[in-house]
Amino acid sequence: MSKTILMVDDDIVQLELFKKLLTSNGYICKVALSVDIAESILKHEIPDLIISDYQMPVKDGFDFRRILLQNDLLKQVPFLFLTSVNDNNFVQQGLDLKAIDYISKGTPAKQILSKIDNLMRSVRQHYEKSLSEIKGIAEKLNLRNTPSATPVLKNFSVSFFNTSYQDHPGGDFIDFIQVNERFTFIILGDVMGKKWGAWFFSFSFLSYIRSAIRLCVYDGNFSLSEIMAKLNRVIHFDELLGDIFSTLSIVLIDDDTQKINYAGAGDLPLLKYEKGKADLQSYQSEGILLGFLAESNFNETEIELGSDDELYLISDGMIDFETAGVKRSDINIFKSKLHQLKESGKSEDDINYILFNKNTTQVDDCSIITIKKIKNEDK
Amino acid sequence: MKISKQQSGDIGVIIIEEKEANLSNSDEFKELILEEITSGTRKLIISFKQVEYLDSSFLGALVAILKALLPYNGKLILTDMNDDIVNLFQLTRLDKIFILHNDLENAVKEF
Repeated sequence: MSKTILMVDDDIVQLELFKKLLTSNGYICKVALSVDIAESILKHEIPDLIISDYQMPVKDGFDFRRILLQNDLLKQVPFLFLTSVNDNNFVQQGLDLKAIDYISKGTPAKQILSKIDNLMRSVRQHYEKSLSEIKGIAEKLNLRNTPSATPVLKNFSVSFFNTSYQDHPGGDFIDFIQVNERFTFIILGDVMGKKWGAWFFSFSFLSYIRSAIRLCVYDGNFSLSEIMAKLNRVIHFDELLGDIFSTLSIVLIDDDTQKINYAGAGDLPLLKYEKGKADLQSYQSEGILLGFLAESNFNETEIELGSDDELYLISDGMIDFETAGVKRSDINIFKSKLHQLKESGKSEDDINYILFNKNTTQVDDCSIITIKKIKNEDK
Repeated sequence: MKISKQQSGDIGVIIIEEKEANLSNSDEFKELILEEITSGTRKLIISFKQVEYLDSSFLGALVAILKALLPYNGKLILTDMNDDIVNLFQLTRLDKIFILHNDLENAVKEF
């Protein structure tokens, strides 16, 4: 993914030269002819690196750096001085302001570019190391919002695929609750948001969902409508989740009667593939987002699954696409792609690979759970 | 986040001047509108005329704004959404909790 660099210099010729150098080497370059313009750009976008001149009218580079250091978000952005003022005293002052480097404008362009490349690589490595440490701690604490195994059933197979946005933990969560040999709940939720914030809250939702299901089942209540209504009520009154919202799809598989029931809250429709049919069939629930209203109705639908059919639970990342820099959400594109791949006889692994290979631009966490019947000859 | 504000009587009209309403601007947008609500605005219109794509983070911000208006019996109308965004609202039943209008003029008449 291209990194964005903000360049601040009152010399328009210098700015244009560096912009050309950086953009031709894969960076996105924003330019500002003054500190005030830079500040206005930073109100809307946080770059990956800021490069600033020292000598500028009204506010100079040191003033700019001091302003940035007072802002919790902006003080974290790597900062370089690129200037023709090379007096040792100035260089020291710049470095004392926590600038990563102080580069002379006389430095050959190739060297400046190498310094920037090295810096960006080092920032990325540092970030990946921190991310890996946090992921390690989360694993040790058993903080997972996707399961490590799928349930083993007599008559159905369940599998899932989940990939997070930009390799950050995200807000999609999956769970399988096998109550006994007969009943299994399949859960797919999506906390509205991305990255760490959504990831953090996904555990609150998961805890409530597990508790609601276990408590209802303990009382012999397997009604998805009632489980959802109770769950909705407790989440509505949880102050911590006051303005955090999640979608939810719940499927209950009865492995004895081979019945499948579904209820949802603000989720995308369940999709069913039937071999030979012209399109995937959609099952849309009527429930609204969990916790928005204290009292909500959640309808329950029974879904017939034939021996060659497949049922898909999907999160909204599956229907987001980016083509030629334009993003859009369209479930019909996804349905048509999946249908085409199924009709061509591709395996599940091949389908996931085609849908999520490195050439596909992903703009959110993506999750898909597939449920199918095990054929008698495969039992 | 680039937005412009207009006042039509006691109705606050917010026009989003971004092509993408997403994670990078959802928190800032939410705070801006919650400040409007705190300062007494109870009738709000948000125009998406310039927005091409809206993600789930921004949807979450809109739901939080609507929820914040409920205790005041306030009203929020969303206008000028493109077909993709309207479809997303319908798919996720958000069209049941939000009032959607095709254009600003009709939205103002709704109050």
